[in-house]
Amino acid sequence: MLNPLNIFGQSPFGPLVDHARKVHECVSLIKPVAEAILAENAARLEELHKQVSKLEFEADHIKDEVRENLPHRYYLPVDRDDLARFLSSMDKIADDAEDFAVMAMFRPLRLPKELHAEFLALADKVVAVSECLLGVAEQLADIQKGGFTGPDSKEVLKRIAEVCQMEFESDKINHQLARHAYGVTDLDPITLILLDKLCRALGKLADHAENVGKNLRLMITRK
Amino acid sequence: MAWNIGANDVANAMGTSVGSGALTLKQAVVLAAVFEFAGAFFVGGNVAQTIRKGIVDTDSLWAATHSVERGNPSKGPTSIPARVSSASVASERSGEQAWWGASAEKNPTGRLYTQLILGMLAALIASSIWLNVATYFGQPVSTTHAIIGAVIGFAIVAAGVHAVDWSMMGTIALSWIISPLVGGVLAFIVYKLVQKYVLSSRHPVFMARRALPICFGAVSFLISLSVLYSVLHVKANALVTKVPLAALCGLVVALGARAVLSRKAARLRVRRSQRYEVVERWFGRIQPVTACYMAFAHGANDVANAIGPLAGIFHYAGGGTIADKAPVPFWLLAIGGVGIVIGLSTYGYKVMAAIGKKITEITPTRGFAAEFGTASTVLLCSLMGLPISTTFVLVGAVMGVGIARGFGAIDLGVVRKIFASWLITIPVSALLSAGIYWLLIRFV
Repeated sequence: MLNPLNIFGQSPFGPLVDHARKVHECVSLIKPVAEAILAENAARLEELHKQVSKLEFEADHIKDEVRENLPHRYYLPVDRDDLARFLSSMDKIADDAEDFAVMAMFRPLRLPKELHAEFLALADKVVAVSECLLGVAEQLADIQKGGFTGPDSKEVLKRIAEVCQMEFESDKINHQLARHAYGVTDLDPITLILLDKLCRALGKLADHAENVGKNLRLMITRK
Repeated sequence: MAWNIGANDVANAMGTSVGSGALTLKQAVVLAAVFEFAGAFFVGGNVAQTIRKGIVDTDSLWAATHSVERGNPSKGPTSIPARVSSASVASERSGEQAWWGASAEKNPTGRLYTQLILGMLAALIASSIWLNVATYFGQPVSTTHAIIGAVIGFAIVAAGVHAVDWSMMGTIALSWIISPLVGGVLAFIVYKLVQKYVLSSRHPVFMARRALPICFGAVSFLISLSVLYSVLHVKANALVTKVPLAALCGLVVALGARAVLSRKAARLRVRRSQRYEVVERWFGRIQPVTACYMAFAHGANDVANAIGPLAGIFHYAGGGTIADKAPVPFWLLAIGGVGIVIGLSTYGYKVMAAIGKKITEITPTRGFAAEFGTASTVLLCSLMGLPISTTFVLVGAVMGVGIARGFGAIDLGVVRKIFASWLITIPVSALLSAGIYWLLIRFV
């Protein structure tokens, strides 16, 4: 029976939050991966990579579901393009995390001891960016219920600024690490290339997190 | 007909309250029954009047019948379409007898009444058939549109195109366009107000406590005002006595609600993260009230669909004259009300349970905005005697809240489908009723 109440389509905001949670699960494995890299524990890396891949696949699945439930006949409280961009940026975060785990398995990275601390700090910072972003994204469903107004929305805007700030900090650590790595004279070039690739993956991850935040800001402030 | 209305439409009003757990199914049925009946009984007469005699121009029917009686249509003083159709009617009916046919043959007035009675009967049968067929195929149809279409159909067959009071029809058609818009605007405003003063405020829970009595008060003010307006037919100093009286009603309810709420709130500690759930829970308490308001407004407007034609039948069969301005008898309104209640209790609860489970989108604050906008619009139209579709207005109100960014996703495809199937209803039920009338005339 075509009931008038069928005019409510499936809201995309609930699954969107699920997706964000899944993506952060991926990212939170970066720290163990980084530790395993430094410990040169190949078996552990293999196992972690499997986990990350699985989570990334699950996140992809949720993403497809959200996209399938966004036909053009839906009237949404936010711009459809903002929503789609939010989703795809979010998805790229998971991709970056997977890239990181894959490249970690290429070959054992014999990183000089003096670079360990900075490498771990970078991993920590990137995970922190993602965590901050998750806190923001989790409130998406709530602020949608409030019609994107009110103190909660303002708080979310504030936390988005925080995400951007943390992304900037992670960039700084990344640059410092690069400068130090290139400064080590007896570093094997292949190790240097691999380190560079790993750091770039993390940098991209933080960038994408920032983009998600910016997209969310566009959604909230759309008037 | 009334059964059908009770079974399907009323459930829409109460479904939300059941879904959110604010009411049990049994409570919902009882409340809906009481308010639906009250709306039908107190305010339903206005719209029933319109359907009974606002649409069909009885003068041209009269003229048509006259020319038939003279047996000389071509020389009659009537206009051409009337002559053509009445001529066919005349050939159809010559020599045939009905149970009141004898008197009908003798005087034109009797003949006219026969026509009107048969016509209204045809309209009732046609719209019932169409409603059941459409429901069988899973299409939502508006009972209002069905009955209006059916009345037009019979009028055109009976006396030609000009027998329909097109200016009245224009007003009704206009009200079909305007009422969802008004409902939408009202719902938009109410939701924005709730957003601004409650959801977005610094202390949502505190503000909800202050806003709720106002909402309670507003609803009871509007209900009592409309009851007073239609029950006390004293035209002079109407507003002077009624508005304060209704305001008093609203005030009493508001103060009562306030007292109850503040007693409950005294013990309440709310964590910051749970603010919205608490606000929604508080607004959940008002849902039964808005649902009753919906039932009241719905009863006021839609009971006419069932008993408007019936009122016509009994009026003319009982020897009333066309010019008679007597209101629709109360016992008929009561019958309509009872019919709706029976429909509700025999089948409506099933629909209610099904709807209630489906709704996760309608949180109490949004539900309040949409239902308040709908009910106010429908009630206003009922007082003006305009037959409109409650569901039409509800869809408009939901869109209003949606524009205020209240809903996660609204399926415009379904909205389009609903409007389309309602538009189809008018010609289909007109054709059906015309056919049935034609058959009835042959056999009577």
